[in-house]
Amino acid sequence: MALPLPPGLTPPETAFLCEMEMVTVIPRQRLEGLNLLGGPTPPLHPPHRTPLPFWLALLLKRQRRANILPPPWLSPPSLSSILDLEKKTPSFSPPPPLPAHTTTSPPFLPSATADAPPDALPYHWLELGEMLLEAASDDIPEPDNVRRLMRDLREVRMAKMRAGVNVLEGGREVNLNGVGGMEVSEGRAFIGGVVDGLRKIGASKEMSRREREAEERENGIGGGDEEEDEDDGMDT
Amino acid sequence: MDIDDILAEVDGHAIPQETRDLQELTRAWVTERSAPEILPWPNALIERVLERIRKQIELIETQTGTPDPKLSFRLIILQTELERFKFLIRSYLRARLHKIDAYTLHHLIDPATKARLSDSEIQYATAHSTLLHRHYHSSFLGQFPRGLQRLDDSQGGVSMVEGPDLERAVFVRGRGGRDGESVEVVVEGTDTRFGLGKGDVVVCRWGAVRGVVGRGEAELI
Repeated sequence: MALPLPPGLTPPETAFLCEMEMVTVIPRQRLEGLNLLGGPTPPLHPPHRTPLPFWLALLLKRQRRANILPPPWLSPPSLSSILDLEKKTPSFSPPPPLPAHTTTSPPFLPSATADAPPDALPYHWLELGEMLLEAASDDIPEPDNVRRLMRDLREVRMAKMRAGVNVLEGGREVNLNGVGGMEVSEGRAFIGGVVDGLRKIGASKEMSRREREAEERENGIGGGDEEEDEDDGMDT
Repeated sequence: MDIDDILAEVDGHAIPQETRDLQELTRAWVTERSAPEILPWPNALIERVLERIRKQIELIETQTGTPDPKLSFRLIILQTELERFKFLIRSYLRARLHKIDAYTLHHLIDPATKARLSDSEIQYATAHSTLLHRHYHSSFLGQFPRGLQRLDDSQGGVSMVEGPDLERAVFVRGRGGRDGESVEVVVEGTDTRFGLGKGDVVVCRWGAVRGVVGRGEAELI
C-alpha cells in the first residue's frame, strides 16, 4: 500500500495540483451553486463570467456547458513579450506579483483567471496552457501561435534550468525564482541528484569544519589554538 | 495592528473553512511527498475532511438513481470532486506509509519522530516490526548467539537503526515570515546563509529549512 513513487510530485501529480487553479468560465447553461467539499461554488447564470476550479471548468467545457476564458498571459502578444524577456536574462522571468496580505500560494492564487496579470507566467503556466490548448483550443485566440510560443518558452527555460547547474556547489542554495511546477517535477531528480552528490563529496570537509566550529564555540572564539587541540586529540 | 492587518484578517475569514482545509490538506500532501522525513500528523484537519467526505458519500448515495437529468449532472460533479479528495487523502497516507515502511524501527524508537505519527500509524508500525522481528528470529536470528540477536543494537557507537537522509536536497518556496518579511536560512557547516523571501524558490538541504517549513514560513514544492 505504500506509495512506490520517488519523493517529490511527479508530472501527473503536478497536473492534478494545477487543476485546483481558479479559471474564469462563461457558462452556457444555468447551474445552481453546489456545496462541494472544497467550498461552495457560485451559481452559474449565462452569460455572467464566474470563477470556478479548473477541473470543474474542464468538465463543463467537455460537456459543452461552458466556455473557458483563457488567462490574459495565454495570448500571442503576452507570450512573445515574455519570450523576449526570457531571452535577455539568464534567470527565469519574474513570476506574477503576490497579493500583499495572503500566505496562500499556487495553485490557490488567482493567477489563471481572466483578471490575472498579463505580463508574467504563473507557477502552473505550462500545465495550464497545455490543458487549455487540449480541451479548449476553440476558446483561445490564435491557438497555433500560442502553441508555438509555448514551445519556444519551454525550450528557452529548459536551457536555463540546465545552465543553472553550473552554479551548483556543495551546500550552496540554488535560486530558481519564477520556476514552473512542471519544470520542478522534471528537473527534480537531476538537480536534486547533483546537489546531493556534491554534498556527499564535500561531506568530510564539512564535518571537520562543523567540529571545529563546535569546538570554537565551547572554548570561546580565539581560546585554545590549533596545535593544542591536536595534542588533546592525540592524548585521548 | 494597523489597517492592513485588519483587512488581512477580514480576507482570511472570507475564505470558507472548507476551502482553507483543502488548501491546508494540499500543502500537507505536497510537503509530505517531498520531505525526506515524516511530518506531524494533522489530526483535526484530517478528521474534518473525512467527516465531510462521509457526509458527501451519504448525500450521493441517497440521490443517485434520480431521473432528473439536472440533478444527475450535479451528482456527477459531486462525485468527480469526491474522487479528487479521495485521491488526495490516499496519496497523502500512502506517502507517509512509505516512510514508515522504509524506516519502521526508527519511527518507533526515536521519540520525536514517533510523536509525529497518528495512532493508527503507530499501531501499524508496531505490528509491522513485530511481525518482521518474529520472522527474522524464527528463520535465522534464533541461531545466533544471544548478544547478536538485537535489531536495534547501538554498540560501538554505530546504531543499527537507520533513519532517513535528513540532508537531502529539496525544493523550497518561501511564504514570508510573520509580517511577510524574508526569513533567514543557515546551512550548517558551510558559509551559506541567505534570506528566503515570500515567493522565492530555492533548492537546498532539508536540514537547513526544516525549521522554517515547520513554522509555516516556507513550503516544499
